[in-house]
Amino acid sequence: MTKLQAKNIIKHFDHNGNSVLALDGINLNVDEGDFVCIVGPSGCGKTTFLNIVAGLEKPDSGEILLNGNKISTPGPDRTMVFQEGALFPWLKVIDNVEFGLKIAGIPKDQRRQISQRYLDMMQLTKFADSYIYQLSTGMKQRVAIARALAMDPEILLMDEPFAAIDSQTRDLLLVELQLIWERTKKTIIFVTHNILESVILGNRVVVFKNCPSKIKKEIIIDYRRPRLAEDENLQKYYHQILEELKSEVMTRIKDESR
Amino acid sequence: MNAKTIGKKIAFYVGIVVVWEVVFLLHIIPEQAFPSPIQVGKTLVHEAANGSLPYGIATSMWRLIVGLAIAITGGMILGIFMAKVETANQTLGSLILGLQSIPSVAWVPLALIWFGPTDAGVIFVTVAGALFAVSINTYSGIKNVPPTYLVAGKNMGASGFQLITNVMIPAAFPYLISGFKQGWAYAWRGVIAAEIIFSVVGLGFLLNTGKHYNDISQVTAILIVIMGIGILVDGFVFKKIERNVMSRWGLTQV
Repeated sequence: MTKLQAKNIIKHFDHNGNSVLALDGINLNVDEGDFVCIVGPSGCGKTTFLNIVAGLEKPDSGEILLNGNKISTPGPDRTMVFQEGALFPWLKVIDNVEFGLKIAGIPKDQRRQISQRYLDMMQLTKFADSYIYQLSTGMKQRVAIARALAMDPEILLMDEPFAAIDSQTRDLLLVELQLIWERTKKTIIFVTHNILESVILGNRVVVFKNCPSKIKKEIIIDYRRPRLAEDENLQKYYHQILEELKSEVMTRIKDESR
Repeated sequence: MNAKTIGKKIAFYVGIVVVWEVVFLLHIIPEQAFPSPIQVGKTLVHEAANGSLPYGIATSMWRLIVGLAIAITGGMILGIFMAKVETANQTLGSLILGLQSIPSVAWVPLALIWFGPTDAGVIFVTVAGALFAVSINTYSGIKNVPPTYLVAGKNMGASGFQLITNVMIPAAFPYLISGFKQGWAYAWRGVIAAEIIFSVVGLGFLLNTGKHYNDISQVTAILIVIMGIGILVDGFVFKKIERNVMSRWGLTQV
């Protein structure tokens, strides 16, 4: 069943007074329970696309359908894990996780039940009463994931959540995220510029073309889970995507040196 | 505060009192213009015992609290309004900057004309002195909230009033607290100034009575009480809140 549909999304940016085409007709269908990775060069509109799905930005034309209904505003049915966490420093870890539930008016004891479950899932129980500054970058992203999952969203959006994390911690989180996905059966869209990440995580990897962004290629990765970063068999997918991206990066360098 | 700092403080204040007494005993300055610390202490005990000092403190504090509460509530509403509506900032913002520059005591004549020598008059002066400082600090606090917090809040379903109370205000709190501190300082000055000029109760009134009877001991005693309240409010109310916020955010105390 189709969970999310992006129909011909077009978006312009204002750059020094000039209108620059950023997204040039993105069409994407995401099935229920699918894990889709969007990979592409930095600054090619991946985040913009994700923001439009989240309802945080509006497209110039085109529409996003969630379960067949058009969406235009942000909503807790599409929670996002941000690159830099965006956790609230004035709240304890547990209150961060409960934030959306509190906004939704869910009573306190019920909130506690839900937050305990996700803190447990992300192995954060010990840190429930910590403040955000006391956590490492990796821990912060665990909290951010717990906070997003606590809302029980229709679809989980992840915007380069592991970009600022050291590689050992990241490898661990990549495995954990696969386990969580299998356990919760959430539909996930994961944006990254890291090819290996996309290969490890995605059922499908969608390669974005350079500015203006278009979908260049879609690669299905039918391989057992949990996939590990060091698995040799992932290399062929990795190189396949790398080839696609190489030409993109080269044109970008040419464009910039012109 | 560690024991060493407390020790230094005690030594300092004891030193002041000793020097004060020595200067008094040397009779360099005439006795009517320079009381001894013992006289001042006696006056304090006397005024405390006959009830006029506790009553004066209670009256002034009550006015301060009501005035400051109004100033903080109103100032925050104004500040948030200016931060959210650019036109309001461009127009109302400049007026508030101007009003903020008016010293508290300059509002006294207006207070007298509008409210007469009443509680409301004193509270008006207090509010007028503090409101604009609070609103200016609120404005810059809200303006400096990192956009990612707002985006995250919206993403989790907060909008409108909920976004203001659950994200904007707590995110701006480190700024807001300095506004409250400034507001309190102006409010306290406002209360005392208004009471000196037109009130028949309160610490400012007691100060004025001292002047009326040429009672230097009373004047000095009340000044010490006013200062003491200032130290207590700063140290026990604002420092506490500030420390609490700082430690949550993981910011180091300056």
